[in-house]
Amino acid sequence: MITLNNVDKINEEMEYHYKKNLSLKDRLKRNKDSYSNFNKPKQPFKERVKKQWDRNAIVYIFLVPTLIHFLIFQVFPFAFSFVLTFMDWKVIGDPEFVGFKHWIAFINDKLAWRAIWNTILFSIYYIVPTMALGLILALIINSGVKAAGLFKGIFFLPVVTSFVIIAGIWGWLFRGTESGMVNYLLSFLGIDTQLFLADSGQALMVLAGLSIFKVAGSTMIYYFAGLQSVDRQLYEAARIDGATPLRIFWTITFPLLKPIHFYVAIITTIGSFQIFDSTFLLTGGGPNYSTTTIVFYLYQQGFAGLNLSYGAVLSYVLFFIILVISLIQRKYLGQETNYY
Amino acid sequence: MKKKISILVLFIILGAVLVACNSDEDTSATEEEISGEITVWVHPYTSDSNAEEAMWEEIVASYEEEFDATVTIETIPWSNRDQKILTALAANNGPDVFYAIPDQMPQYADEGMLLELDPYLEDNEMDDFVDSALVSTKWQDKTYGLPILQEAYTFFYNVDVVKAIGKDPENLPTTWSEFEEWAKAAKEEGYYAYSYQGGGSMNGTLYPFIWQAGGKVITEDDEVMINNVESVKAFEFVNNMYEKNWIPEDSITAMNHDAIWNAGEMLAVLGSGISLTNLQESGLDFVIAPPLKNKEQKTYGTTGMFVVPTNSDNPNAAAEFVKTVTNAENQRKFNTITQYIPTRESAKNIFDDQQYLKQLSEYTQYALPGVIHPKGRNIMPMIQAEVQTMMEGEKTPQEAADAAAEAIEAEIAK
Repeated sequence: MITLNNVDKINEEMEYHYKKNLSLKDRLKRNKDSYSNFNKPKQPFKERVKKQWDRNAIVYIFLVPTLIHFLIFQVFPFAFSFVLTFMDWKVIGDPEFVGFKHWIAFINDKLAWRAIWNTILFSIYYIVPTMALGLILALIINSGVKAAGLFKGIFFLPVVTSFVIIAGIWGWLFRGTESGMVNYLLSFLGIDTQLFLADSGQALMVLAGLSIFKVAGSTMIYYFAGLQSVDRQLYEAARIDGATPLRIFWTITFPLLKPIHFYVAIITTIGSFQIFDSTFLLTGGGPNYSTTTIVFYLYQQGFAGLNLSYGAVLSYVLFFIILVISLIQRKYLGQETNYY
Repeated sequence: MKKKISILVLFIILGAVLVACNSDEDTSATEEEISGEITVWVHPYTSDSNAEEAMWEEIVASYEEEFDATVTIETIPWSNRDQKILTALAANNGPDVFYAIPDQMPQYADEGMLLELDPYLEDNEMDDFVDSALVSTKWQDKTYGLPILQEAYTFFYNVDVVKAIGKDPENLPTTWSEFEEWAKAAKEEGYYAYSYQGGGSMNGTLYPFIWQAGGKVITEDDEVMINNVESVKAFEFVNNMYEKNWIPEDSITAMNHDAIWNAGEMLAVLGSGISLTNLQESGLDFVIAPPLKNKEQKTYGTTGMFVVPTNSDNPNAAAEFVKTVTNAENQRKFNTITQYIPTRESAKNIFDDQQYLKQLSEYTQYALPGVIHPKGRNIMPMIQAEVQTMMEGEKTPQEAADAAAEAIEAEIAK
């Protein structure tokens, strides 16, 4: 009889045999294929291209507009902005080559490092709570609760609402005076009012709260889709074994959502490093630079300060940070991920 | 002798012919080149797009009657306008005329992005423009734009609060000491004195106090003056207001205090012509005071201007359009619709029947358009951060001013 206690062990054993057998078959098949391919006369290049074209022509034709768009609006600006990091460009006129001047300026720019640190702090405040809240909301609407559709709509509402409106509401909630809703409630309960957005120690957390509120609904949808794909038989087996809901969650639901965790972790990380709107709308980067994030600083330098080359350097720094974090996440979260 | 006279006569004739040819060339060049098409980028200055469209049609018609050129007006949203303008100009696909504010003008001019307009202005009755409006159109003694609108920020007082603290709404504070006396009285009666919006632009927070104290932020010659004796007085003034709770606790990063003002819990708020509609709709009874004075009577007020980028395909037609749109007649049309204050004295009569706007238009003589310097916008966040640090109690006014000066110097040295 399969019980919950020995499910993991059985799974491990099956996986071991499966991998072992598959790898042997694979090896034999690969050898066979490679010998047969080796002996086959190679087709001329033109013929191979023609064959591919005949087979996939319609696909290539449909891909052309997207490819052109991608090249013009993604690849070209990406490459151009990299070249720009080595130039001084006055917008009108020809760029002037200045070597690593802007990169060296970045290394010595304390404010840029402060902005990077603020962004990392923001990510710490933002990523795990967003994932947790999204998962909790998904579990609520997946639990068979009545009017699940209504809840789904309510939870998703902030996602489709303009950021400016959400920020306005957030500003009203977290005003540092008693006219702010949260402070009103605190004073009603006899607790000291807080400065929130006007306090260097709190402002970034309040902004993270705004982003969590804004994004949790879309995270919920990803998790909800993941929950729908979990095999119901596993739950039934667990229930028959008398597992508690919490045990079922930690032993079945949470591990099987691994691909969703990976995906959500990646997109929330990227989102957190690109945070701009809330800082721009609510604090202007203050107090005392405590909410100046990398994109906000990039905006200040590139557009407000007309220093486009330095802005390009900051954008590449941001790109490298996101790339490295994504690779790390992929290594530790994405490994052995089964995409169902 | 006869030969000498002949040579002299010959030179005079040749000279006259050359002068004639030159003047002919100039005239014909101007006339010939004012043709073709120009594109003008404007913004939505009001919420009534139909009224604005009709206004632009009239202004364009007045131009097209005089010149053989056609004008296309394109309305660009205010948001991200910097990016839009820069991207368009970089792609050599931008407008021939666009609207700019004093923060942008010196930065663009210093980068060589704007056409110098002085050669076009001899016949443009420049004396009719308000001096304080022309200040913002010049960089290094060259004119790069012509102003169409101006504003002046000053204190709006809640009449009920003024009466509640035992003061006279007919005799509003005009000096720092008088204001401080009123602020103290307001605090004692449980009101906030003033809305200091530390998260907003320095133009609406610290700068007016610096100018009133006789200080400066930075000169055209890169001399940093934000930490001189006069300027530090402004830091002290703001710090004093915050320490004594005359301004709300969240003033460090606040973007507005509308809720407090609308609830009738605030004595004064800084506003200009664009605040009038909201103030009138709030139902509160208010009075407008002249800009405050310490050593000098100064305030902030932006100046909206039209400029021509150097890569315009039709600079002559563009420059003539800038002159046309800012002439007295068109300024009357524009400012009647937008409710801003005209920058030509002869156009200011449009507000003769409007009590508040007439009063505000008198104050434009005290209005400075911000820090006119290519780094004006770069240095603002640095100063803001130091003021915030001071308000958080981590630096004294002098330390904050010194740190701001140091940051500005580093920015200029880049």
